Amino acid sequence: MSEPQRVDPGNRAVRRILGDAVVRHALSRIGLYVFAGVMLVFFALPLLWLVLTPFSRTPAYQITAPSFTLHNFRVLLDNPFALRSIGNSLILAGGTAVLAVVFAGTAAYALSRVRLPGRDALLYAILLLSSIVTGTAAMVPIFLMLFQLNMIDNRLALVLVLTGGLLPSAMFILKDFMDSVPKSYEESARVFGASPLQILRHVVAPVVRPGLATIAVWAIVQVWGNFLLPYILLHDQNKQPAAVIMYTFYDEGGTPNFALISTFSLLYSVPVVVAYLIVNRRYGFRFQGGIKG
Amino acid sequence: MATIELAALEKTYPGGVRAVDGLSLTIGDGEFFALLGPSGCGKTTLLRTIAGLEEATGGSLSIGEREVTRLAPGQRDVAMVFQDYALFPHMTVLDNIAYPLRIKRVARAARHEKARQTGDGLELAELMARRPAELSGGQQQRVALARAVVAHPSAFLFDEPLSNLDARLRLSARTFLKRLQRELGVTTIFVTHDQAEALAMADRIAVMEAGRIRQVGTPREVFGRPANTFVANFIGSTPMNLLPATVTDHRLLLAAGSLPAPSGLGARREVTVGIRPEYLDFSATAVPDALSGTVGIVEHLGTSSLVTLETDGGPIGVVVPEEAEPAAGSTGWAVPRPGRVLLYDNETGDLLPT
Ligand SMILES: Nc1ncnc2c1ncn2[C@@H]1O[C@H](COP(=O)(O)OP(=O)(O)OP(=O)(O)O)[C@@H](O)[C@H]1O
Ligand SMILES: [Mg+2]
Repeated sequence: MSEPQRVDPGNRAVRRILGDAVVRHALSRIGLYVFAGVMLVFFALPLLWLVLTPFSRTPAYQITAPSFTLHNFRVLLDNPFALRSIGNSLILAGGTAVLAVVFAGTAAYALSRVRLPGRDALLYAILLLSSIVTGTAAMVPIFLMLFQLNMIDNRLALVLVLTGGLLPSAMFILKDFMDSVPKSYEESARVFGASPLQILRHVVAPVVRPGLATIAVWAIVQVWGNFLLPYILLHDQNKQPAAVIMYTFYDEGGTPNFALISTFSLLYSVPVVVAYLIVNRRYGFRFQGGIKG
Repeated sequence: MATIELAALEKTYPGGVRAVDGLSLTIGDGEFFALLGPSGCGKTTLLRTIAGLEEATGGSLSIGEREVTRLAPGQRDVAMVFQDYALFPHMTVLDNIAYPLRIKRVARAARHEKARQTGDGLELAELMARRPAELSGGQQQRVALARAVVAHPSAFLFDEPLSNLDARLRLSARTFLKRLQRELGVTTIFVTHDQAEALAMADRIAVMEAGRIRQVGTPREVFGRPANTFVANFIGSTPMNLLPATVTDHRLLLAAGSLPAPSGLGARREVTVGIRPEYLDFSATAVPDALSGTVGIVEHLGTSSLVTLETDGGPIGVVVPEEAEPAAGSTGWAVPRPGRVLLYDNETGDLLPT
């Protein structure tokens, strides 16, 4: 606070204005912190609920200080679909992630290396269309198509549909990574006799690995939370993923079974968090190409 | 080990740039051959066309006994070192060096053994576990060389491998590279825009301009008898003196004096006289058959100095030994050494036979 010292002590008006400024500054600061505090509580409460309620004797909407119990997990294990649905989610998410990385990776590599007229326009068009193709508007056509192909209740079909929805964005992001791989890496491998597939496996893929990992986790998160597509395309409860099964945890009267829902929610969030932590630890998340040697 | 033969080789880029314009050239087995020329003359393009990274749009190319014009790069049995070295950033030095063997499906243990041996020979033994990003420029260059050596190709192609090194390292790398090539005896094409590098290292040099070769010869030939004014200008650390002159009977008349003319040129003809500053001797007293002028700038080159004589026909450079530098402003005479005066045709710029 060196400002007031420079002011002529006799000049009261200036002093008052400066004093006002300080007060206003302090008030706005206080306001900011109060706002941040409220927001924090607002977002932290659900998380708190998520962590505390599974261990509560009387699980409900309220957050109660836990009178600790593991009984709720007993209920979860007794439910015939709960654990299996997590397994189903893992299969769907893993399958989609693998396919998305392989297809988007190869497509992005090709798009980055081959000079096609109108290539960028094509890329943007695909990106734009993709939000339509797997958006709600396309649900009926997709259902009808798979129905006629007799592929309802087919997990592979669902994985393909999910992959298709993710590909455009994945390609778009990965192309940027591919563009940043110096051509001389590949040319040098080519002169030594490496085939295109070998170049992709030995050189390009390892160099863009942070990008591939980002896409994989992103795909997992997308599939994990997807309710509509699996709900429409999988009718067998034994095949349905967690996001769909969760909606069955209500009793006949329509009241939620809190013991089941709270524990299930906790279990449901663990794999995504773990996937995120692993990838973030190893590569850090990046949506831009750029290679650290 | 192989000879490399280019026959009317041509590369026109899709945009219409003719970067290699019908080159014919034979590079001998085991030869260290330099491609020299100003920026944009097509050196890199030529090298890449030989490697197969660019497809030739005309002519043919053979390496050894094989015609390779249409073969993929991997089937041409050459190894290339790129200007940026193109080391794989995610592999250790050992894996980088062993990479060509991995492609040839050599077992892991065997290829690592071979890579270690090669690396030892290039003073890389301590660095085998590092990644390229953890190496200095000179070390990276040696890794790139080791990777090329381990491939055991019939020809090496180097694209300005020394240009990323600092001046001092460049000198030692020159010697190193030349010794390595000599020991291995592998035919080598070496691209550079540094004429000193080409003169120092190459068995033969091709000087290129705009996709064409202007002269092919040993460093001695290219330096001592440039085939045209382009090469004369390009080669040499001090530029060659190129002075207009008129031929009369037995004399060359220049603005700065007259010199004896070689016979058989015909009378009354305009030519350009070329004399390297290194092939002129300085005299502070008047002598016959010399060019005279006023001493202008004196530049120190180390063991000698470059003296610029201001004459009526433009400046003339003369190299004088150290401690024999004349004072600026005095009058001096430049005497060509016997047989060192070259005459160029004014129209074509070509060397006239003398
Ligand atoms: N991919 C390309 N497409 C079109 N023209 C190109 C391409 N690569 C190079 N050229 C052109 O071909 C000519 C020769 O280029 P090249 O890279 O072979 O020159 P260079 O002799 O290696 O130059 P430098 O010493 O600067 O490396 C240049 O005019 C350049 O603009
Ligand atoms: Mg070049």
